[in-house]
Amino acid sequence: MRTEEEIRRSLRDWIVKSNGKIRPEEVGDQTPIIEQRIISSLQVMDLIFFLEQLSGAPIEVDDLKPGVFRDIDTIYQNFFHEYQA
Amino acid sequence: MVIDFNKLSGFGWSDNGQSTLSGSLLALFHRLDRLFLKWARECQADQYRFPPFISARELSKLDYFRSFPHLVTFATTLDSSEENLKEFAESEPLNIAGEVQLTRQSPVKEVLTPAACYHFYIRFERESLASARYVTTRANCYRREAYYSPLERQWSFSMREIVCLGTAEEVKDFLARYQTRVDQFFKSIELPVEWKNATDPFFNPSRNPKYLLQKLDPVKTEMIFEDRLAIGSINFHRNYFGEAFEISREGREAFSGCVAFGIERWIYAFLSHYGLSETDWPDLDYE
Repeated sequence: MRTEEEIRRSLRDWIVKSNGKIRPEEVGDQTPIIEQRIISSLQVMDLIFFLEQLSGAPIEVDDLKPGVFRDIDTIYQNFFHEYQA
Repeated sequence: MVIDFNKLSGFGWSDNGQSTLSGSLLALFHRLDRLFLKWARECQADQYRFPPFISARELSKLDYFRSFPHLVTFATTLDSSEENLKEFAESEPLNIAGEVQLTRQSPVKEVLTPAACYHFYIRFERESLASARYVTTRANCYRREAYYSPLERQWSFSMREIVCLGTAEEVKDFLARYQTRVDQFFKSIELPVEWKNATDPFFNPSRNPKYLLQKLDPVKTEMIFEDRLAIGSINFHRNYFGEAFEISREGREAFSGCVAFGIERWIYAFLSHYGLSETDWPDLDYE
Protein backbone atom coordinates (compact mmCIF):
# COMPACT_ATOMS: atom_id res chain seq x y z
CA MET A 1 0.00 0.00 0.00
CA ARG A 2 1.34 3.40 -0.99
CA THR A 3 1.57 6.18 1.57
CA GLU A 4 -0.31 9.43 1.15
CA GLU A 5 2.97 11.17 0.41
CA GLU A 6 3.81 8.69 -2.36
CA ILE A 7 0.39 9.10 -3.94
CA ARG A 8 0.62 12.87 -3.87
CA ARG A 9 4.11 12.72 -5.38
CA SER A 10 2.87 10.37 -8.16
CA LEU A 11 0.04 12.75 -8.93
CA ARG A 12 2.39 15.73 -9.06
CA ASP A 13 4.86 13.84 -11.28
CA TRP A 14 2.07 12.87 -13.67
CA ILE A 15 0.78 16.45 -13.88
CA VAL A 16 4.27 17.86 -14.50
CA LYS A 17 5.03 15.23 -17.13
CA SER A 18 1.68 15.69 -18.89
CA ASN A 19 1.98 19.46 -18.97
CA GLY A 20 5.54 19.36 -20.27
CA LYS A 21 6.31 22.98 -19.39
CA ILE A 22 5.49 23.48 -15.73
CA ARG A 23 8.09 22.85 -12.97
CA PRO A 24 7.29 20.50 -10.03
CA GLU A 25 7.59 23.36 -7.51
CA GLU A 26 4.84 25.24 -9.39
CA VAL A 27 2.30 22.49 -8.70
CA GLY A 28 1.18 22.77 -5.08
CA ASP A 29 -1.48 20.63 -3.43
CA GLN A 30 -4.01 23.40 -4.02
CA THR A 31 -2.92 24.59 -7.46
CA PRO A 32 -6.09 24.51 -9.60
CA ILE A 33 -4.92 22.26 -12.44
CA ILE A 34 -8.09 22.48 -14.53
CA GLU A 35 -8.83 26.16 -13.97
CA GLN A 36 -5.27 27.14 -14.88
CA ARG A 37 -5.37 24.67 -17.76
CA ILE A 38 -2.24 22.90 -16.54
CA ILE A 39 -4.17 19.81 -17.63
CA SER A 40 -5.98 20.28 -20.94
CA SER A 41 -9.35 18.85 -21.89
CA LEU A 42 -7.58 16.26 -24.04
CA GLN A 43 -5.59 15.06 -21.03
CA VAL A 44 -8.57 14.54 -18.73
CA MET A 45 -9.25 11.03 -20.06
CA ASP A 46 -5.55 10.20 -19.54
CA LEU A 47 -5.83 11.51 -15.99
CA ILE A 48 -8.84 9.26 -15.33
CA PHE A 49 -6.94 6.28 -16.72
CA PHE A 50 -3.90 7.16 -14.59
CA LEU A 51 -6.06 7.45 -11.44
CA GLU A 52 -7.60 4.05 -12.16
CA GLN A 53 -4.14 2.54 -12.36
CA LEU A 54 -2.90 4.33 -9.25
CA SER A 55 -5.92 3.50 -7.10
CA GLY A 56 -6.62 0.11 -8.61
CA ALA A 57 -10.31 0.98 -8.77
CA PRO A 58 -12.43 1.70 -11.85
CA ILE A 59 -13.84 5.21 -12.34
CA GLU A 60 -17.32 5.62 -13.79
CA VAL A 61 -17.09 8.82 -15.84
CA ASP A 62 -20.83 9.51 -15.69
CA ASP A 63 -20.72 9.46 -11.89
CA LEU A 64 -17.96 12.04 -11.56
CA LYS A 65 -19.03 15.16 -9.70
CA PRO A 66 -17.99 18.71 -10.58
CA GLY A 67 -14.79 19.79 -8.87
CA VAL A 68 -13.27 16.33 -8.25
CA PHE A 69 -10.16 17.14 -10.31
CA ARG A 70 -9.70 20.67 -9.01
CA ASP A 71 -6.26 20.13 -7.45
CA ILE A 72 -4.09 17.43 -5.89
CA ASP A 73 -5.91 17.81 -2.55
CA THR A 74 -9.35 17.18 -4.04
CA ILE A 75 -8.10 14.32 -6.23
CA TYR A 76 -6.56 12.70 -3.17
CA GLN A 77 -9.71 13.21 -1.10
CA ASN A 78 -12.00 11.84 -3.81
CA PHE A 79 -10.03 8.88 -5.11
CA PHE A 80 -7.56 7.77 -2.44
CA HIS A 81 -8.59 8.93 1.00
CA GLU A 82 -10.95 6.06 1.74
CA TYR A 83 -8.35 3.47 0.77
CA GLN A 84 -5.90 4.90 3.27
CA ALA A 85 -8.28 5.06 6.21
CA MET B 1 -48.07 31.91 -19.66
CA VAL B 2 -48.23 30.64 -23.23
CA ILE B 3 -47.67 33.47 -25.68
CA ASP B 4 -50.13 33.70 -28.57
CA PHE B 5 -47.84 35.07 -31.24
CA ASN B 6 -50.76 35.63 -33.62
CA LYS B 7 -52.15 38.19 -31.18
CA LEU B 8 -48.80 39.83 -30.53
CA SER B 9 -48.70 43.18 -32.26
CA GLY B 10 -45.35 44.33 -33.58
CA PHE B 11 -44.09 40.79 -34.06
CA GLY B 12 -43.27 38.92 -37.24
CA TRP B 13 -41.94 35.39 -37.51
CA SER B 14 -40.20 33.57 -40.34
CA ASP B 15 -40.00 29.79 -40.31
CA ASN B 16 -36.28 30.04 -40.96
CA GLY B 17 -35.87 31.08 -37.35
CA GLN B 18 -35.88 34.84 -37.61
CA SER B 19 -38.11 37.43 -36.02
CA THR B 20 -39.12 40.99 -36.82
CA LEU B 21 -39.85 43.49 -34.06
CA SER B 22 -41.63 46.81 -34.18
CA GLY B 23 -43.70 49.04 -31.92
CA SER B 24 -43.69 48.23 -28.21
CA LEU B 25 -41.62 45.05 -28.71
CA LEU B 26 -38.85 46.96 -30.44
CA ALA B 27 -39.03 49.59 -27.69
CA LEU B 28 -38.61 46.78 -25.13
CA PHE B 29 -35.64 45.44 -27.09
CA HIS B 30 -33.95 48.85 -26.88
CA ARG B 31 -34.84 49.34 -23.22
CA LEU B 32 -33.35 45.97 -22.33
CA ASP B 33 -30.18 46.73 -24.23
CA ARG B 34 -29.94 50.13 -22.53
CA LEU B 35 -30.19 48.34 -19.20
CA PHE B 36 -27.36 45.95 -20.16
CA LEU B 37 -25.28 48.91 -21.34
CA LYS B 38 -25.91 50.66 -18.05
CA TRP B 39 -24.56 47.57 -16.28
CA ALA B 40 -21.57 47.56 -18.67
CA ARG B 41 -20.81 51.17 -17.74
CA GLU B 42 -20.53 50.12 -14.09
CA CYS B 43 -17.17 48.52 -14.98
CA GLN B 44 -16.32 51.30 -17.49
CA ALA B 45 -16.53 48.82 -20.36
CA ASP B 46 -15.51 50.25 -23.73
CA GLN B 47 -18.15 49.80 -26.40
CA TYR B 48 -17.45 48.10 -29.72
CA ARG B 49 -19.44 47.40 -32.83
CA PHE B 50 -18.15 44.53 -34.93
CA PRO B 51 -18.88 43.39 -38.49
CA PRO B 52 -21.10 40.34 -39.05
CA PHE B 53 -18.40 37.97 -40.38
CA ILE B 54 -15.61 36.26 -38.50
CA SER B 55 -12.65 34.74 -40.31
CA ALA B 56 -12.84 30.94 -40.37
CA ARG B 57 -9.08 30.84 -39.84
CA GLU B 58 -9.49 32.69 -36.52
CA LEU B 59 -12.42 30.54 -35.40
CA SER B 60 -10.51 27.38 -36.16
CA LYS B 61 -7.92 28.44 -33.54
CA LEU B 62 -10.70 27.74 -31.04
CA ASP B 63 -11.38 24.31 -32.52
CA TYR B 64 -14.81 25.75 -33.30
CA PHE B 65 -15.52 23.61 -36.36
CA ARG B 66 -14.87 20.39 -34.49
CA SER B 67 -16.81 21.46 -31.40
CA PHE B 68 -19.83 23.12 -33.06
CA PRO B 69 -20.18 22.02 -36.71
CA HIS B 70 -23.95 21.74 -36.27
CA LEU B 71 -24.30 25.44 -35.38
CA VAL B 72 -22.12 27.15 -37.93
CA THR B 73 -23.44 29.35 -40.77
CA PHE B 74 -21.00 30.12 -43.57
CA ALA B 75 -20.88 33.22 -45.76
CA THR B 76 -20.70 31.99 -49.32
CA THR B 77 -20.43 33.71 -52.71
CA LEU B 78 -20.22 32.61 -56.31
CA ASP B 79 -16.88 32.25 -58.00
CA SER B 80 -16.60 35.58 -59.80
CA SER B 81 -15.47 34.31 -63.19
CA GLU B 82 -17.63 35.67 -66.02
CA GLU B 83 -18.43 32.19 -67.28
CA ASN B 84 -19.50 30.96 -63.80
CA LEU B 85 -21.71 34.00 -63.11
CA LYS B 86 -23.27 33.66 -66.54
CA GLU B 87 -24.00 30.02 -65.96
CA PHE B 88 -25.69 30.83 -62.66
CA ALA B 89 -27.71 33.78 -63.98
CA GLU B 90 -28.84 32.09 -67.15
CA SER B 91 -29.88 28.78 -65.69
CA GLU B 92 -32.64 28.46 -63.08
CA PRO B 93 -31.21 30.24 -59.99
CA LEU B 94 -33.96 28.89 -57.73
CA ASN B 95 -35.70 25.52 -57.80
CA ILE B 96 -39.28 24.85 -56.85
CA ALA B 97 -38.34 24.12 -53.23
CA GLY B 98 -36.80 27.58 -52.92
CA GLU B 99 -33.25 26.22 -52.98
CA VAL B 100 -30.62 28.25 -54.75
CA GLN B 101 -28.97 26.26 -57.54
CA LEU B 102 -25.43 27.38 -56.86
CA THR B 103 -22.81 27.06 -59.52
CA ARG B 104 -19.13 27.10 -58.57
CA GLN B 105 -18.52 28.95 -55.28
CA SER B 106 -15.62 31.05 -54.11
CA PRO B 107 -13.61 29.44 -51.33
CA VAL B 108 -15.49 29.86 -48.05
CA LYS B 109 -13.36 31.79 -45.60
CA GLU B 110 -15.92 33.59 -43.47
CA VAL B 111 -18.46 32.58 -40.86
CA LEU B 112 -21.43 34.57 -39.59
CA THR B 113 -20.77 35.55 -35.98
CA PRO B 114 -21.79 32.67 -33.69
CA ALA B 115 -21.09 34.48 -30.40
CA ALA B 116 -20.51 38.18 -29.79
CA CYS B 117 -17.39 37.97 -27.63
CA TYR B 118 -15.21 36.03 -30.11
CA HIS B 119 -14.52 39.30 -31.90
CA PHE B 120 -12.70 40.69 -28.87
CA TYR B 121 -10.12 37.91 -28.59
CA ILE B 122 -9.32 38.24 -32.28
CA ARG B 123 -9.13 42.02 -31.89
CA PHE B 124 -6.74 41.81 -28.92
CA GLU B 125 -4.52 39.11 -30.41
CA ARG B 126 -0.89 39.29 -29.20
CA GLU B 127 -1.64 42.21 -26.86
CA SER B 128 -0.07 42.47 -23.45
CA LEU B 129 -2.66 43.96 -21.10
CA ALA B 130 -1.33 46.48 -18.57
CA SER B 131 -4.55 46.21 -16.56
CA ALA B 132 -7.78 44.25 -16.71
CA ARG B 133 -9.75 45.20 -19.81
CA TYR B 134 -13.54 45.55 -19.78
CA VAL B 135 -15.42 45.71 -23.08
CA THR B 136 -18.95 45.30 -24.37
CA THR B 137 -20.67 44.71 -27.67
CA ARG B 138 -24.00 43.67 -29.08
CA ALA B 139 -24.03 41.40 -32.11
CA ASN B 140 -26.44 39.57 -34.30
CA CYS B 141 -25.43 35.97 -33.76
CA TYR B 142 -26.17 33.05 -36.06
CA ARG B 143 -26.62 29.46 -34.96
CA ARG B 144 -28.28 26.82 -37.08
CA GLU B 145 -30.54 24.71 -34.88
CA ALA B 146 -32.56 21.54 -35.38
CA TYR B 147 -35.78 23.51 -34.86
CA TYR B 148 -36.79 27.10 -34.24
CA SER B 149 -39.30 28.72 -31.96
CA PRO B 150 -40.26 32.43 -31.86
CA LEU B 151 -38.00 34.44 -29.53
CA GLU B 152 -36.85 31.24 -27.79
CA ARG B 153 -34.69 29.58 -30.42
CA GLN B 154 -33.71 31.52 -33.51
CA TRP B 155 -31.21 31.13 -36.32
CA SER B 156 -30.27 34.77 -35.83
CA PHE B 157 -30.60 36.52 -32.52
CA SER B 158 -29.18 39.47 -30.61
CA MET B 159 -26.59 38.97 -27.93
CA ARG B 160 -25.20 41.67 -25.62
CA GLU B 161 -22.01 40.71 -23.86
CA ILE B 162 -19.86 42.33 -21.21
CA VAL B 163 -16.38 40.85 -21.23
CA CYS B 164 -13.37 41.00 -18.92
CA LEU B 165 -9.82 40.00 -19.86
CA GLY B 166 -7.28 39.93 -17.05
CA THR B 167 -5.79 37.70 -14.38
CA ALA B 168 -7.80 34.75 -13.08
CA GLU B 169 -8.72 36.76 -9.98
CA GLU B 170 -9.76 39.85 -11.93
CA VAL B 171 -12.02 37.79 -14.14
CA LYS B 172 -13.53 35.81 -11.27
CA ASP B 173 -14.23 39.02 -9.33
CA PHE B 174 -15.88 40.51 -12.41
CA LEU B 175 -18.12 37.48 -12.94
CA ALA B 176 -19.09 37.26 -9.26
CA ARG B 177 -19.92 40.98 -9.19
CA TYR B 178 -22.18 40.68 -12.22
CA GLN B 179 -23.89 37.56 -10.98
CA THR B 180 -24.84 39.44 -7.81
CA ARG B 181 -25.84 42.52 -9.80
CA VAL B 182 -28.07 40.64 -12.24
CA ASP B 183 -29.53 38.46 -9.52
CA GLN B 184 -30.56 41.55 -7.52
CA PHE B 185 -32.28 42.81 -10.64
CA PHE B 186 -34.26 39.59 -11.14
CA LYS B 187 -35.41 39.78 -7.53
CA SER B 188 -36.35 43.46 -7.83
CA ILE B 189 -38.65 42.81 -10.80
CA GLU B 190 -39.78 39.43 -9.43
CA LEU B 191 -38.82 37.53 -12.56
CA PRO B 192 -38.48 33.80 -11.73
CA VAL B 193 -34.89 33.14 -12.77
CA GLU B 194 -32.49 30.65 -11.21
CA TRP B 195 -28.80 30.10 -11.80
CA LYS B 196 -27.77 26.68 -13.03
CA ASN B 197 -24.51 25.16 -14.19
CA ALA B 198 -24.53 24.25 -17.85
CA THR B 199 -22.24 23.12 -20.64
CA ASP B 200 -21.77 24.50 -24.13
CA PRO B 201 -23.84 22.77 -26.86
CA PHE B 202 -21.01 20.59 -28.19
CA PHE B 203 -21.47 18.34 -31.19
CA ASN B 204 -21.46 14.69 -30.15
CA PRO B 205 -20.78 15.66 -26.52
CA SER B 206 -20.12 12.20 -25.12
CA ARG B 207 -17.10 11.96 -27.40
CA ASN B 208 -15.82 15.46 -26.74
CA PRO B 209 -13.28 15.84 -23.92
CA LYS B 210 -14.13 19.54 -23.68
CA TYR B 211 -17.67 18.56 -22.69
CA LEU B 212 -16.38 16.18 -20.05
CA LEU B 213 -14.12 18.91 -18.70
CA GLN B 214 -17.02 21.39 -18.52
CA LYS B 215 -19.02 18.80 -16.58
CA LEU B 216 -16.17 18.25 -14.15
CA ASP B 217 -15.23 21.89 -13.79
CA PRO B 218 -18.32 23.99 -14.61
CA VAL B 219 -17.46 27.27 -16.25
CA LYS B 220 -20.90 28.24 -17.49
CA THR B 221 -23.77 29.36 -15.29
CA GLU B 222 -27.04 30.09 -17.00
CA MET B 223 -29.90 32.39 -16.00
CA ILE B 224 -32.81 29.96 -16.31
CA PHE B 225 -36.27 31.49 -16.63
CA GLU B 226 -39.07 29.35 -15.15
CA ASP B 227 -36.87 26.28 -15.08
CA ARG B 228 -36.84 25.97 -18.87
CA LEU B 229 -35.24 28.81 -20.85
CA ALA B 230 -31.71 30.21 -20.55
CA ILE B 231 -31.99 33.96 -21.06
CA GLY B 232 -28.34 34.65 -20.38
CA SER B 233 -25.17 33.17 -18.98
CA ILE B 234 -22.01 33.87 -17.08
CA ASN B 235 -18.96 32.18 -18.54
CA PHE B 236 -15.45 31.69 -17.23
CA HIS B 237 -13.17 30.78 -20.15
CA ARG B 238 -10.11 30.15 -18.00
CA ASN B 239 -7.11 31.19 -20.20
CA TYR B 240 -8.45 29.41 -23.28
CA PHE B 241 -8.79 32.54 -25.46
CA GLY B 242 -5.66 34.10 -23.96
CA GLU B 243 -3.67 31.09 -25.09
CA ALA B 244 -5.31 30.75 -28.51
CA PHE B 245 -4.75 34.44 -29.33
CA GLU B 246 -1.56 35.03 -27.32
CA ILE B 247 -3.11 37.71 -25.12
CA SER B 248 -1.13 38.19 -21.92
CA ARG B 249 -1.62 39.80 -18.54
CA GLU B 250 1.14 40.06 -15.92
CA GLY B 251 3.43 37.95 -18.07
CA ARG B 252 1.04 35.00 -18.36
CA GLU B 253 -1.75 34.01 -20.70
CA ALA B 254 -4.75 36.24 -19.95
CA PHE B 255 -7.91 34.77 -18.47
CA SER B 256 -11.30 35.91 -19.68
CA GLY B 257 -14.95 35.71 -18.86
CA CYS B 258 -18.19 37.16 -20.13
CA VAL B 259 -21.72 37.95 -19.11
CA ALA B 260 -24.07 37.31 -22.03
CA PHE B 261 -27.69 38.35 -22.51
CA GLY B 262 -29.92 36.88 -25.23
CA ILE B 263 -32.20 39.82 -25.89
CA GLU B 264 -35.00 37.99 -27.73
CA ARG B 265 -35.17 35.47 -24.88
CA TRP B 266 -35.45 38.29 -22.36
CA ILE B 267 -38.37 39.62 -24.39
CA TYR B 268 -39.89 36.14 -24.34
CA ALA B 269 -39.52 35.97 -20.55
CA PHE B 270 -41.14 39.40 -20.15
CA LEU B 271 -44.09 38.51 -22.39
CA SER B 272 -44.54 35.12 -20.77
CA HIS B 273 -44.33 36.40 -17.21
CA TYR B 274 -45.86 39.88 -17.35
CA GLY B 275 -48.19 39.49 -20.33
CA LEU B 276 -48.44 41.04 -23.75
CA SER B 277 -49.41 44.53 -22.62
CA GLU B 278 -46.61 47.07 -22.38
CA THR B 279 -48.22 48.70 -19.36
CA ASP B 280 -47.67 45.52 -17.33
CA TRP B 281 -43.92 45.32 -17.96
CA PRO B 282 -41.43 46.55 -15.34
CA ASP B 283 -40.11 50.06 -15.89
CA LEU B 284 -36.53 49.36 -16.90
CA ASP B 285 -35.51 52.98 -17.34
CA TYR B 286 -35.74 53.50 -13.59
CA GLU B 287 -33.83 50.38 -12.62
